Amino acid sequence: MAFNPRKFKKILIANRGEIACRIIWTCKEMGIKTVAVHSDVDRDSLHVRFADEAACIGPAPSAQSYLNIPAIISTAEIFNVDAIHPGYGFLAESPYFAEICEACNIKFIGPPANIIRLMGDKIEARRAMHEAGLPIVPGSPGGITSEEDGRKVAREIGYPVIVKASAGGGGRGMRIVRSEQELGKALETASTEAAAAFNDGSVYIERYIEQPRHIEIQVLADEYGECIHLGERECSIQRRHQKLMEEAPSTVLTPEMRKRMGDAAVAACKKLGYSSAGTCEFLLDVHGNFYFMEMNTRIQVEHPVTEMVTLADIVRNQIRIAEGEPLGYAQDDLLIVGHAIECRINAENPETFAPSPGTISAFNLPGGPGVRVDTFVYSGYQVTPFYDSLIAKVIVHARTRELAIARMKRALEAMVIEGIKTTVPLHLKIMDDPRFRAGDIGTDFMEYFLARNGRKAAAP
Amino acid sequence: MSAPKEQSETPNRRARTAPKPAASVNMEELRELIALLRDNGLAELELENEGFRVRLRRDSVAGPSYVGEVSLHAPAPAPVPAAPAPAPPPAAGPTHPGTHASTEASQDQDLHIIPSPIVGTFYRSPSPSADAFVKIGSNVEPETVVCIIEAMKLMNEIQAEASGEVVKIYVENGQPVEYGQPLFGIRS
Repeated sequence: MAFNPRKFKKILIANRGEIACRIIWTCKEMGIKTVAVHSDVDRDSLHVRFADEAACIGPAPSAQSYLNIPAIISTAEIFNVDAIHPGYGFLAESPYFAEICEACNIKFIGPPANIIRLMGDKIEARRAMHEAGLPIVPGSPGGITSEEDGRKVAREIGYPVIVKASAGGGGRGMRIVRSEQELGKALETASTEAAAAFNDGSVYIERYIEQPRHIEIQVLADEYGECIHLGERECSIQRRHQKLMEEAPSTVLTPEMRKRMGDAAVAACKKLGYSSAGTCEFLLDVHGNFYFMEMNTRIQVEHPVTEMVTLADIVRNQIRIAEGEPLGYAQDDLLIVGHAIECRINAENPETFAPSPGTISAFNLPGGPGVRVDTFVYSGYQVTPFYDSLIAKVIVHARTRELAIARMKRALEAMVIEGIKTTVPLHLKIMDDPRFRAGDIGTDFMEYFLARNGRKAAAP
Repeated sequence: MSAPKEQSETPNRRARTAPKPAASVNMEELRELIALLRDNGLAELELENEGFRVRLRRDSVAGPSYVGEVSLHAPAPAPVPAAPAPAPPPAAGPTHPGTHASTEASQDQDLHIIPSPIVGTFYRSPSPSADAFVKIGSNVEPETVVCIIEAMKLMNEIQAEASGEVVKIYVENGQPVEYGQPLFGIRS
């Protein structure tokens, strides 16, 4: 087999915030020059400061800046970049963008466009992964064509069911339905929400798994057919289907289960011809059965917990793979050491979750053993309301889960961010919660936690 | 988590002056207070009087306008912070296409600045052998084409969208330009 590696001299990062910084750090370590793109309000952002070159590509609204393909490609051409790293969100899962990069002879750091397209259609992804050998939750074979069709499918699957948007993600366009009377309205509202958010109102139905755990498997594949997994991440602590914290490894996975899930994910990816980094999301039920949910064909927000326990650098591997290097690892090389936890710190009120933009007046990062902080803010930085509210990720690594929790507590206590409200106090409370400490977490955890702490969780 | 102690070295120092015998503060005194704030590099100042309290706060971060329109006062490049304004971690700062032009244009407050609406390469004439669209002294109308910006092999004609005389040209032929970068200065 002919390997065809070519080293990148310069990479453009088509993103902002903490992930743009994250990519720049690894590029620096690899001796690769970086180009940052930014909107006009992001001129003072950290990723702009630390890139070698930068260009303003548009005004604040994402559609005119970070989603503005002509502006990004134009910048890439002016600076003569070899490759573009899309990060997560924005254009990371746009097959159209991947194709344009290819047409302009710029390497898109990610899987091939046709795979991005396939995985972006949740109905088709389910079908393809099922054919590739992954178990899926019993559900409609395709999109729901009418209320009558939906009723028929739901009766076959058995209530409770969940209605989901085909083009969806991020928890939107989903409705849980416990009885046939609720089905019609649920189909309608889910479809409307999906049409508004994703420009595609098609929905499908799956059996709803009660109190599932959300376990995802990180995979890495090269362009020559080799693929391995890097173990799992437990992401069950979510509010409105948005992840708040993650950990690796999961408290419930035995080595045998890890092998079963990991091998299944790898086999499916190999069959599809996957390359670069990716994540297969599964639901785990109380009996230890796992079901494929969806695949994310990009690096994920929570990738650091995997990096801490495996010593892998996922960004570095993405770049190497895009350069045409063979993977170089065998599955047996995988070592999972200790326990890692990540808390996503958002610029939000920790009680109401209302966004809290503003100027950061005082800022201190925790340090010391086993602490990593991925952020892009600093003292004096102005957090704007235009983008995601994630401003930092605090990640800890320790020998055991108990030690990791103690480490996260003291790290959060030293995480000083003043001038805006953040969710640091919320995470501190979660660290003290008895269910959390016992590892008894499922996707119902936040509902239980907020009720216990006297607040209402928003309706799912 | 207990609140951190008030830091004495940060820009958000508060200075309190002793209460004055006069019952009100006049404009002259207000001006003095403002000067006090600025000249001593304070971000905030509070003055208490009998029956009267004044608090002045200076925004330490200069940033572009957020109202969704193109900022015509191009922000300074790799910002050099004024005395107390908290600076982001020191770094050499990236090479921006707009570095020199922005600094120059920010001093031309009396001119109408034509900014670049896109990222691309700036050309002064329709083709290498042709004359420039405009030069210093040319008169322009809103629909006058003043330059071409090439992006992804497409030649975009940029219109003046203003009337007046071209008095400044901030960029050079063939130079890459970014969104919002000042191109021409027009005197109406």
